Amino acid sequence: MKISRALTVLIAAVSFSMGIGLLAAPCFAQDATASSPVSFPNTKHVLGLDGVKHDASGVLTVENGSLEFTKGKQKVVVPASSIKEVLTDKDTERTLGGTAGTLTLLVPYGGGRFLSLFRTKIDNLSLEYVDASGGVHGVIFIMAQGNAAGAKTALLSQGAKTSVPVEVEAQQQAKPKEKKQ
Amino acid sequence: MKSIRCSSALLPLGLVFLFAGSTALAQDKPQAKIQASSIQILMVHSDEVKLPIDFQLALYEYVIDQVQKSNKFQHVYRDGDTAAANATDLVILHTNVYGFKKGSEEKRQVTTVSGTTQIQVHCLFTDKAGKTVLAQDVTGKVRFIGGNLRATLDFAKKVAKIVVTNFQ
Repeated sequence: MKISRALTVLIAAVSFSMGIGLLAAPCFAQDATASSPVSFPNTKHVLGLDGVKHDASGVLTVENGSLEFTKGKQKVVVPASSIKEVLTDKDTERTLGGTAGTLTLLVPYGGGRFLSLFRTKIDNLSLEYVDASGGVHGVIFIMAQGNAAGAKTALLSQGAKTSVPVEVEAQQQAKPKEKKQ
Repeated sequence: MKSIRCSSALLPLGLVFLFAGSTALAQDKPQAKIQASSIQILMVHSDEVKLPIDFQLALYEYVIDQVQKSNKFQHVYRDGDTAAANATDLVILHTNVYGFKKGSEEKRQVTTVSGTTQIQVHCLFTDKAGKTVLAQDVTGKVRFIGGNLRATLDFAKKVAKIVVTNFQ
């Protein structure tokens, strides 16, 4: 009799713990998605990160509650919780940029001007974060078209803040520009 | 009679030279430079015009960069830096954008004469108590080579020049 009672208690305990386990499973799944790294290669750092040169290309990664920018051996980490503003924008840049792009201005018969008509669509990602001593920093990245919204979503999921939600920003950018009369 | 005529002709000429000389001397006299060992640069505001965030951040970061490069101050503090509260001889730079015209890099490169990006900023240097030390309007422009954000670098370089000429 005692054995059967003990057995029922044991079965009940096992089923209870299994139930809790099943309930907890989605939480573990959420944690896994939250910490899964999101990386954006060929991201250009325009300005703002300490120790990284202006216009340096590298990999932007969002993982473990922080934003990381890696350029070769250099790595700069900004905690997502310290980011007070994340905004995105769309723009274009010359397909043939840099020094070579500037030198095309010397091409005779307006060849350089013609080449500057070839443009690539890009996304801007602007961040404002606060360092340990309370100082405000501003950082600007240039990314491939369509990547900035993904980076912003990833940063917001890691604890960054913004004044303009992703959906609102997407609607604003989708609106065609009003023609001047 | 001739000497009187001659002297009457020379007198106004002499007076003109005297006046010109005195003004030239006054201009040559060096202005008293403002003494400050540290500066705090506040975030750029744009109360009158709508300024895109990338321009706002670029103005702020480039000004910090250029002022640091000028080597005029022992410390350059950012907006919100708590260490600035204990700094002695601190000046605070307030910047307010009152004019902004976003041009087009493409137009600049194709036409040469149009597509200029221009930013007009009122710069105000105050002491810790809020007393104005120096006020000046600065315009940042990009006319030909470079992206639109280059106008912010042009502005920052001009601010650094003001710092070099006016601060000890």
